[in-house]
Amino acid sequence: MKMATTSKSKRTRKSSTPAYVPPKKLPISFTVNGQEVTAEAPAHTSLLYLLRDLGFTEVKNGCEAGDCGACTILLDGLAMNACCALGVQAEGREITTVKGIGTVDNLHPIQVKFIEHGAIQCGFCTPGMIVAAKELLDINPNPSRHEIKAGIAGNLCRCTGYVKIIDAIEAAAEDLSSKKGKRK
Amino acid sequence: MRGFDFVAPTTISATLKAAKGRNTKFIAGGTNFLPDLRHQHDGPAKVVIDLMRVSALQGISSSKGQIKLGALATMTDFLTNKIILKEAPILAAMSEKFAGPIIRNRATVAGNIIDGGPAADAVPPLLALKAKVRLASEKGRRTVDLDKFLTGYRQTAIRSDELITAVTFPSPGRNHKWGYYKLARRNAMAITVVGVAVVLKVRRKKVEEAGISLGSVTAAPIRCYEAEKILEGNVVDLELAQKAAEACAAVATPIDDIRASAEYRKLMCEVLPRRLICQALDISQDND
Ligand SMILES: Cc1cc2nc3c(=O)[nH]c(=O)nc-3n(C[C@H](O)[C@H](O)[C@H](O)COP(=O)(O)OP(=O)(O)OC[C@H]3O[C@@H](n4cnc5c(N)ncnc54)[C@H](O)[C@@H]3O)c2cc1C
Ligand code: FES
Ligand code: FES
Repeated sequence: MKMATTSKSKRTRKSSTPAYVPPKKLPISFTVNGQEVTAEAPAHTSLLYLLRDLGFTEVKNGCEAGDCGACTILLDGLAMNACCALGVQAEGREITTVKGIGTVDNLHPIQVKFIEHGAIQCGFCTPGMIVAAKELLDINPNPSRHEIKAGIAGNLCRCTGYVKIIDAIEAAAEDLSSKKGKRK
Repeated sequence: MRGFDFVAPTTISATLKAAKGRNTKFIAGGTNFLPDLRHQHDGPAKVVIDLMRVSALQGISSSKGQIKLGALATMTDFLTNKIILKEAPILAAMSEKFAGPIIRNRATVAGNIIDGGPAADAVPPLLALKAKVRLASEKGRRTVDLDKFLTGYRQTAIRSDELITAVTFPSPGRNHKWGYYKLARRNAMAITVVGVAVVLKVRRKKVEEAGISLGSVTAAPIRCYEAEKILEGNVVDLELAQKAAEACAAVATPIDDIRASAEYRKLMCEVLPRRLICQALDISQDND
């Protein structure tokens, strides 16, 4: 009813600027780090904005253009740039952020090695870097240094010069493969 | 382009029905869509149609010598799919140089073709493989050769209600020779300065069929028909490879930009095809 009257008045309106109609909000639900989340957002909202607005601010916004990797998350286990998808595309999907890999109280070996090797300076690239490292080591548990470089090619770091990050991922790979068998 | 509606169909027929309306736009991996959305505020789309849940657009298959890439096949698929690694490894070599691993997880082959830009990296290898684009709309289906599909700078022959369903090409055979080179300022996350793809079917030392193409040196990637003809039917030596390479450079009309000068690009359009042809056919080059 309300819709019909608005569109009618719009048609008879003389002014050249149409009345502002706020973008329609769509319901969205998915899981983040195993927790079910429901939200409402206009369709044009990027997954990055949606996640940050919902409080998952560990997903960083560095460029909104796919270039920096600060927004890297896992979508159904596959690494992707949250800034390159619409929030509504995540409907029903499973999202993992860096906090789903390990928390302050329960650090993942990759995170431990980042700390030990001084691979974190300002820390802005770290959440994305760790998610990218996680996918790399899931696919290739014993990467060469060259393969590590190729694996984090989509993640920029403006502080460390990368060497310490590569050292940390190398050490994490060793640690994880020595623990293999003990872990599930 | 704000305040659009969004639908996520799961079948091709539901997708085509949705695309019939006015002002619709598809989204696949979103790696072009989202950066575009951010930079152009008032685009036309009223309804955005998500393709990611249409399972019939996924997957890579091979039957009767034809290889079929679903529209949603990703660059990561090219690096891991057994059919590609065996039958068309040039696509894996291309993918290795495409963006970085995270973008590759989402970047689809159809999205790359629709990108239509000079530096769309999947296009030169697909041109050299003589690929065709399968299109569908509610009005019917058609198949267009990829080189005819690309009509100009960021322009293709697609109609507004049409969907790319697949990209197909004949398998070049287990013993074909190939070469790919992406010349760029960095090894990853870089826009191509010159891209070259070479696919050669060889029988008893003779090149039976050749596919050669260039990227980033014309408005849209192109096939080098003249160069292909020079090689076809011949036992190729350095001199003939050089002639074909010159024919490649002859069709290139590069521009100057921040990445390289037109002059340098033009020269590379000769050097790189010659090098790739010689490497593929085991021809020794004096000055390489
Ligand atoms: C950081 C970064 C690096 C990149 N690096 C490279 C690179 O090295 N080389 C390169 O070539 N490209 C690169 N790109 C560009 C982009 O990733 C690719 O062109 C990609 O293949 C686009 O696919 P997509 O699925 O993400 O397309 P989307 O962004 O989802 O869609 C792009 C367009 O294609 C249309 N479309 C998609 N699928 C279909 C279909 N089946 N039928 C009809 N229309 C369709 C959409 O409507 C839309 O207009 C890069 C992009 C970014 C952000
Ligand atoms: S914010 Fe997504 S890649 Fe930079
Ligand atoms: S630690 Fe500052 S950007 Fe990487």
